[in-house]
Amino acid sequence: MRVEGLAVVLRPRSQSEACDLGLAMVRAQAASVWRCFAPVFLAVAALALCTVDLRGWLPMLIIFWLKPWLDRTLLFVMSRAVFGQATRWSDLWQARRQVFGGQFLRTLLWRRFSPWRAYTQPVEQLEGQRGGARRKRVSLMLNENRGAATGLQTAFVHAEAVLGYGLVALLWWFAPENRNAGVWDWFFHPGAHEAGELARDLVFSVSYMAVVLFLEPFYVAAGFAMYLNRRVALEAWDIEQEFRRAFA
Amino acid sequence: MNAPHTAAPQRIDTLALAETPEGIVLSLQPAGLVARTLAFLLDLLIRLAINLVVLMVLSALGRLGGGLALIAFFCVEWLYPIVFELTRGGATPGKGVMGLRVVMDTGLPITPAGSFIRNLLRVADFLPFGYAFGIVTMLLNREFKRLGDLAAGTLVVHAKQVVLHDAPPDAASIAPARALSLSERAAIRAWAGRARRLTPARFEELAQIAAPVLPPVQPGDPKRSTAERLLGVAQWLMGSRG
Repeated sequence: MRVEGLAVVLRPRSQSEACDLGLAMVRAQAASVWRCFAPVFLAVAALALCTVDLRGWLPMLIIFWLKPWLDRTLLFVMSRAVFGQATRWSDLWQARRQVFGGQFLRTLLWRRFSPWRAYTQPVEQLEGQRGGARRKRVSLMLNENRGAATGLQTAFVHAEAVLGYGLVALLWWFAPENRNAGVWDWFFHPGAHEAGELARDLVFSVSYMAVVLFLEPFYVAAGFAMYLNRRVALEAWDIEQEFRRAFA
Repeated sequence: MNAPHTAAPQRIDTLALAETPEGIVLSLQPAGLVARTLAFLLDLLIRLAINLVVLMVLSALGRLGGGLALIAFFCVEWLYPIVFELTRGGATPGKGVMGLRVVMDTGLPITPAGSFIRNLLRVADFLPFGYAFGIVTMLLNREFKRLGDLAAGTLVVHAKQVVLHDAPPDAASIAPARALSLSERAAIRAWAGRARRLTPARFEELAQIAAPVLPPVQPGDPKRSTAERLLGVAQWLMGSRG
């Protein structure tokens, strides 16, 4: 890792301030982030929506379950953004084996239930550690940082829920004055309405997907920035950055 | 003063700069979604607890108590942040726990008008559900402002500085080989202060990068590692000429 090439300013930060650095990183490379993430996400979302006929909640569950895998694309983009590099679809395609493949079981089972997956993802995906070395590394990263990493998860779980409900609430808000109650009733008793159950399930699923498409990059970047901040504390990356800029 | 920048011209950071009338530039550290959500959740729990106590006390009064309780809920909801922001150094208890503070854009303490406006506009941030607009504006704004902060010209900042260095270990002072710029001095002193936090190997590795500032080793000098000699430079920079 060429610390001197980093496009972010490293300095001692609290972990919650490090999350803010992640948000700033997404804004700085917004074009790269959604250019690469949107096609992958929309392809998965389209396939997931095909299952809406089986069970109304199935598309949402599929997206929810695949999030750790979808995050791999985002971390790939962020790992370049941190050096100020833009990422195009062709870059992602060239690295497809490393990004899309590998660690399937861990990604889809173990990491799905980890309360700090965004924070430990760089250890698994970028450092490429395996077995005992990875376990030791992850526990070193988590040492004294479990609270902060869970805080990140808590904040984003709330944000996701609120934005999801908010989008659905907008529908109720913009319904004509005398039809609001009807929209409300449609949410809970879709069978009694002309629009029906399928339309309701589609509305819920698409709202959820829109929220994930918007929010997931911020979540992954915040976790990545926390990881960088941990390395500032453990390995004095901020000092290496200053030294290399000044003396090398 | 600074070394020539070879990387991207503008490095990403979250600082907000505020200039005082005296021409001094302060850098504030605006706080974003994660810290503020956690602070909000803590405040929400505290408000719920207050409401619960109020309800239990007033329920003894029957229907009159019910009316009074509703008035009390209203006051708790609206006055809680304003009272705390104006009396407790700009922080509600939740913000205090997270190390946050509300200040004006200029870095000055929050004014009553600022506090009223930012808290009245919670109504707008709340829309359409559970502060959704607030969350989106906070994510997209450079200084993590929600609508109320934009209207009132206020900023929520991290008030606690994180310090990773402590007093550097003793070493015989050595004059550096060349004059050092302000940022180079700061970097060497920050490095010396991390001696107890880093592994000796990593500490030495970092010292090797800064080796060009060390004077050449004289034949009669005692044998010392690069880290020990750079610690000597740090001592020299701190005024020790022994």
